[in-house]
Amino acid sequence: MRRSSSLARPMLLAPGGLLLLVLLLAPMMVLLSYSFAPGGSMRPDFSAGLTFENYISVLGDPFYLAVIGRTMLISLIVTAASLLLGWPLAYFLWRAPARWRTLLTLAVVAPLLISIPVRNYGWMVLLGDQGLINGLLVGASLVEQPLRLMYTNFATVIGLTHVLMPFVVLSVVAALERVPPELLSAAETLGASRLRAILEIALPLSLPGAIGGAALVFCVAVSAYVTPALMGPSGANYATTLIYQQFISTLNWPRGATIAVVLLIITAATLIGLLGFINKRFSRALRGS
Amino acid sequence: MRVLFPGVIFTIYAFIAAPLIVVIVVSFNSGNVASLPIEGFSLRWYANALETRAFVRALGTSLWLAITATMIAMPIALAAAVAIAQGDFRGRAAMETFFMTPLLVPGLVIGIALLVSFSALQVRDAPLRLLAGHVLIALPYCIRTILASLTRMDRALIEGAQTLGADDFTAFRLITLPLAAPGIIAGTSFAFLQSFGDVPISLFLIDARNATLPITIMSYLEYSVDPTVAAMSSMITIASFAVALVIERLVGLRRALG
Repeated sequence: MRRSSSLARPMLLAPGGLLLLVLLLAPMMVLLSYSFAPGGSMRPDFSAGLTFENYISVLGDPFYLAVIGRTMLISLIVTAASLLLGWPLAYFLWRAPARWRTLLTLAVVAPLLISIPVRNYGWMVLLGDQGLINGLLVGASLVEQPLRLMYTNFATVIGLTHVLMPFVVLSVVAALERVPPELLSAAETLGASRLRAILEIALPLSLPGAIGGAALVFCVAVSAYVTPALMGPSGANYATTLIYQQFISTLNWPRGATIAVVLLIITAATLIGLLGFINKRFSRALRGS
Repeated sequence: MRVLFPGVIFTIYAFIAAPLIVVIVVSFNSGNVASLPIEGFSLRWYANALETRAFVRALGTSLWLAITATMIAMPIALAAAVAIAQGDFRGRAAMETFFMTPLLVPGLVIGIALLVSFSALQVRDAPLRLLAGHVLIALPYCIRTILASLTRMDRALIEGAQTLGADDFTAFRLITLPLAAPGIIAGTSFAFLQSFGDVPISLFLIDARNATLPITIMSYLEYSVDPTVAAMSSMITIASFAVALVIERLVGLRRALG
């Protein structure tokens, strides 16, 4: 029987492993190889050998660099906004009475299950030229002409923050749950104000969760496609819409593959860097709890 | 602080809920545009959504795709989750991470990687291409949710059953499977929703006759402002919340989300 279970384990893992190998790892290798192929078409000619020309042309072209830079900047703003909104919400959920906590958490987390175009659509109704916000602004005579809110980088920031902020809430709540609530009351008993107790106890102890959540939001924002395509300026304004354009309209697959690889390297470096930082800086605090 | 903090929290909840509520409200507009305030109450955009051929066809494609992909992924995920949860071999965490890679790689990158590979292999059948992509979407969600219910399982139960003479399969059938059942149902629901809602992977695998519902909604949004999309979106929102409640009941939504 011992022998059968030691044989069984690899057999149980094999179908899933094989699936990932065939449908994910191998295709990623093919994509990587395309980034080293001579550019300009859908069917690159590999017989000429591999080349760095795509990387040189992408990283040397001010247009591509501007798109990548803009993508990074928007993602950074989205990350900051998600932290700013998500942290107080996480704190609120942590302190909420137990009988309400489940429902209040569900209201934050359940939208994550809804398809992203559906979640963006509400903002299109709110931010459009005839939308609710412009209606109120014009109605209150604050502006004469409707403001152009939709199809801007601002709209992308709003849409992405709405989609991604729950991830910050989830990871900060997880970190706060390891903090004994008595710590805060003890600080207050000793004379600290509520705000000071929060800033000096809850905030530092939640940092690993906040950084983890922020890293996730940044990476997902950089590689988000739906929201920049629906809510942002038209054309290849965002890294992902640029990749889409290279694959579907311009049909320069090697160049599209190159931009994708550059994007992957940036997100991977961010994740590994930040998570490594958390591990190093907070490992004792994490182990201690 | 006493007044400010509740105000801030209320505003953040409003930020989360407003776009979802607005869509539901304008879906009942009797007027011709999806904007507020609505002119009157009407169900005509729901009727219109269910009569628009592009939507009905896309809904059919998306349902077929999500159900089939989840049904293929689930047994594979169950096998892998059981092996991961019951094994005390080293590298278990690495194994778990390995099976989560489809979540770590951006959807758009998976989409173009599959596009490039399928076209190199001359696989042109859109349903087949989509199915491959969606099995990949479903697998990690199934594994993670089953693992969430299995890690609560006491290993002594299995050893007890084996001591009493049960073979591996009997122990699996009588102990592991019932314990994993909530995870299996929750994982199936979760994977179904993720597959149903996907855009960035499907985007590169569809053809003109096999578009998924979220992609059809996206392209409809580019040229039309009437509330038909609002009606379609409201139905998706309500159905997604219902599934979220089921998952919450079975394993807890937060556990399922990782």
